[in-house]
Amino acid sequence: MAGKTIFGMYDDDGTLMTGAAALIDKGLHIKDAYTPFPVHGLDRVLGVKWTRLAQCAFIYGLIGAILALSGFWFFMISDWPMNIGGKPNGVLYENLPAFIPITFEFTVLCAAHGMAITYLLRNWTLPGVKARNPHPRTTDDHFCIEISTEENNNFSEEDINSLLKETGTVEIFERA
Amino acid sequence: MHSEAAIRKPLILGDKDYHQITEDVCAPVEGKANRLWYIAFSIALIVALWGIGCILYTIGRGIGVWGLNTTVGWAWDITNFVWWVGIGHAGTLISAVLLLFRQRWRMAINRSAEAMTIFAVMMAALFPGIHMGRIWMAYWVLPVPNTFGSLWVNFNSPLLWDVFAISTYFSVSLVFWYIGLIPDFATIRDRSQKALPKFIYSTLSFGWTGNVKAWIRFEEVSLVLAGLATPLVFSVHSIVSMDFATSVIPGWHTTIFPPYFVAGAIFSGFAMVQTLLLMVRKVVSLEAYITRKHIEYMNIVIVITGSMVGIAYLSELFISWYSGVEYEQYAFLNRATGPYFWAYWAMMTCNVVTPQLFWFAKIRKSFVMSFILSLFVNTGMWFERFVIIVTSLHRDYIPANWSMFHPTFVDIGIFIGTIGIFFVLFLLYARVFPVLALNELKSILKISGENFKKQQH
Amino acid sequence: MEQFTLPTRMRNIIYTLVGIGVLSLIMGVVNVMGAEEAEHHHAVQRLWGNILINGLFFFGIALMGTFFMAVQYAAESAWAVTVKRVFEAVSQYVYVGALVLLVVFAAGAMHLHHLYHWMDPNLYIEFLADGSLNPEYDEIIAGKSAFLNQPFFWARALLFMGVYIWFTRRFRKRSLEEDMSGGTSLHYNNVRDAAIFLVFFGFTSMVASWDWIMSIDTHWFSTLFGWYVFSGWWISAMVVFLLLVLYLKSKGLMQQVNESHVHDLGKWMFAVSFLWSYLFFSQFMLIWYSDIPEEVTYYIARIDHYRWLFWGMFAVNFIFPMLFLMDRDNKRNKGYLVTIGFIILFGHWLDTFLLVVPGTQHADWHFGAFEIGLMLGFAGLFLFVVTRALSKAPVVVKSHPFLDESLHHEIH
Repeated sequence: MAGKTIFGMYDDDGTLMTGAAALIDKGLHIKDAYTPFPVHGLDRVLGVKWTRLAQCAFIYGLIGAILALSGFWFFMISDWPMNIGGKPNGVLYENLPAFIPITFEFTVLCAAHGMAITYLLRNWTLPGVKARNPHPRTTDDHFCIEISTEENNNFSEEDINSLLKETGTVEIFERA
Repeated sequence: MHSEAAIRKPLILGDKDYHQITEDVCAPVEGKANRLWYIAFSIALIVALWGIGCILYTIGRGIGVWGLNTTVGWAWDITNFVWWVGIGHAGTLISAVLLLFRQRWRMAINRSAEAMTIFAVMMAALFPGIHMGRIWMAYWVLPVPNTFGSLWVNFNSPLLWDVFAISTYFSVSLVFWYIGLIPDFATIRDRSQKALPKFIYSTLSFGWTGNVKAWIRFEEVSLVLAGLATPLVFSVHSIVSMDFATSVIPGWHTTIFPPYFVAGAIFSGFAMVQTLLLMVRKVVSLEAYITRKHIEYMNIVIVITGSMVGIAYLSELFISWYSGVEYEQYAFLNRATGPYFWAYWAMMTCNVVTPQLFWFAKIRKSFVMSFILSLFVNTGMWFERFVIIVTSLHRDYIPANWSMFHPTFVDIGIFIGTIGIFFVLFLLYARVFPVLALNELKSILKISGENFKKQQH
Repeated sequence: MEQFTLPTRMRNIIYTLVGIGVLSLIMGVVNVMGAEEAEHHHAVQRLWGNILINGLFFFGIALMGTFFMAVQYAAESAWAVTVKRVFEAVSQYVYVGALVLLVVFAAGAMHLHHLYHWMDPNLYIEFLADGSLNPEYDEIIAGKSAFLNQPFFWARALLFMGVYIWFTRRFRKRSLEEDMSGGTSLHYNNVRDAAIFLVFFGFTSMVASWDWIMSIDTHWFSTLFGWYVFSGWWISAMVVFLLLVLYLKSKGLMQQVNESHVHDLGKWMFAVSFLWSYLFFSQFMLIWYSDIPEEVTYYIARIDHYRWLFWGMFAVNFIFPMLFLMDRDNKRNKGYLVTIGFIILFGHWLDTFLLVVPGTQHADWHFGAFEIGLMLGFAGLFLFVVTRALSKAPVVVKSHPFLDESLHHEIH
């Protein structure tokens, strides 16, 4: 059976939440949902895992801090030690207070940009990428759930359609 | 689900639904500009061109065309730099710190405040750039391998810390702002009928889809960026203050400088946001979203940070006497009674006295008074930097070197010019960008919208 | 109605702590009486110095109870309403705390100790009776006498403490009334009072820190000092709030306080730690960088003679919260919060120790059973007062305009 995708549109986030919960109760698998703003709790209803972007940011930040400190060691201690303002650059720790500000800045720089780039790549939102939301109103005031017939073999198309209707959709459409 | 107490005032007025929010916010982008906009834009453009002329003149002739002399080697340029950076603090503060504090009123103002931040930091970065004299050598501030042996930049210098702080702040603010804009660009993209706007906003929106996982990532990124941007905001103005405070010049070297500069930055930034938003809400008809309550909250922040700045002034003044160091004592006496006394008292009046009027609820809630007082704060904060920089320098340790600073037309032209450039950028922004964070506003409509609040209670 | 009654085990712990404290105090007094002439001054400084440390530390925490509550009112914040009674209970220590400090000041005024060098009247006399120069005359301190003099010092101390206590009483009284009457009028009165209190406290806490702490190192000055002390008190208080909430929850009370509330308290603990570290660094780095003699002596004294304690204190107070509280899940994990909480609470006690001791005992300092014992004793006294206040009213307020919002508090 060729896979079809059925979309159900809601005009309210409340009906979307109760609708999605009801469909899942009936045993349907919802592939995804498209909303104009983050609907809190929807991830739990659909069973979407939380992202690990924060951990990435931590790692990027750590790399930034290490890079900055090793840079200081190289530039100011090893390669060309300079005694400026009575601050001898014999060893790194003696002059550490003067290095803290840039270490901090560089940590934040790496963490923020590293995470932002990862975010754009993971979401695949990049310049020139074509939008894949099923209906233009999902970025305005409509909420759309996506159901794949392939993933719901024990339901017929008609079943899915009627189940969707029961939950208060304002429009149902499908795509091959 | 979230519940909001009955005594909280609604943040979105009138009978709005999700679609109406989209309509309201997209209207200025999709419609034609009104006459007021064209008038304002023309004036700003003329001023900006004059400023650019002065900048080019400076680059061509060298900084000798400014009023600097051997005693006062830093004056308007650094004053303007710190003033603009300070203004640039409110945007990220509003979007990051208030996000962490879960202040819902932030959502109506954060987009514009962030735009303001980015433009203000651009104006700020201009000044150290042209002060270098040979701006084409500006890349020398970076630790790049070079032809002079391996002489690296001096990482002990607070001026270099500043280079890193400002560039980090600028780029992170830009990314934070843009990530928030992507879903809103997508909204405009999906609404536009004509080919060209559709193409432009498709490109700008990076193909945003708005599925569940994308929103989870969006919220996580916003939160973590806010977590990173909050200490960043603190650090940037702290580092700016260290340009002065690490020295041994009386009036510059004082330990309270980092937090006090931060408080002052928030203070001046909020005042500038206030000035801009009071205009924006009229020009693009967003009275239902930028309400009296928003203005009142902003005024409360202004009075709190203003009081912190006031406490810092007084403690500086007190400690200079308490220290028993005669140079310290003289520096402050000279500020209050020396040849630049007018700058000191202008600063005191505008920063410490007038904002205290916001303790009165009537004044705090008045649009006209808020506008006037915000201008006072903007002026006062410029004088604060002038007082710190010029009055501390013009009478140094050797009385034979004492001198005064007189700005030339170039000094004045560049300063006024940056205000022009700033407004040109801001007015353009107000025409082509969604000036309110659509997606965020929609997410609080059912909690803080007037019509929904009425239904609940 | 949820009522807290002090469990016997906790009561025994408190009594044991107080007992240890009393024994340590006796030990300290005996030490003073038995000291030889040469050692006497030092023993006195050690005894009174430690009373001052604990006086400041716990009084500061109590003040922050009122402060943090006032912040919640002024900021129209809702989440903390369910844990508000804990702030109140902590603030009830202000009476005892103020008394302890006043005793130390009075003893100083009577020259029973020499913690406050400027209280020595000899410093101000330029010429002796016979017309010769007074070798003890201190020009710098004499220059400060318009501020550092006994009548003005006492007037300030009494005024500040009086006003702090007055506000604390009003908040507590209204809170108990609100349980009975409900409505919003009391709430709005609290909001107004909170704003006034914050303005007063914002300015006077700074002056108080100059008076009570900075004047120990009489020559030294730092404009940031007030905010540094303030942030140290604040973080200690945040830890105390969190520990008390977790304790009450473990006793089956405060079930309305959910994971999100604990998470928020954890966030505060993290954020204020960062604030404190930032202020520590700002003050230290600027003085280190400029390296001018009138300022840098303060840190030289600490780094030369207290090296491990000084850097250890900073490392603990900065690195522990930074590393272990950054992760979201850790801010909801009871084990982590309690462990880190106790460590940094002790870390900030050490910070107070380092504010007082280097200026009073100089290079010849002690840290032993007496210091620990007295600290535990004061902790016992503090807990005694706080748990008593907790048991006098329901642990969660019964009426507050934001109560419902707080009960529904949920964050990721």
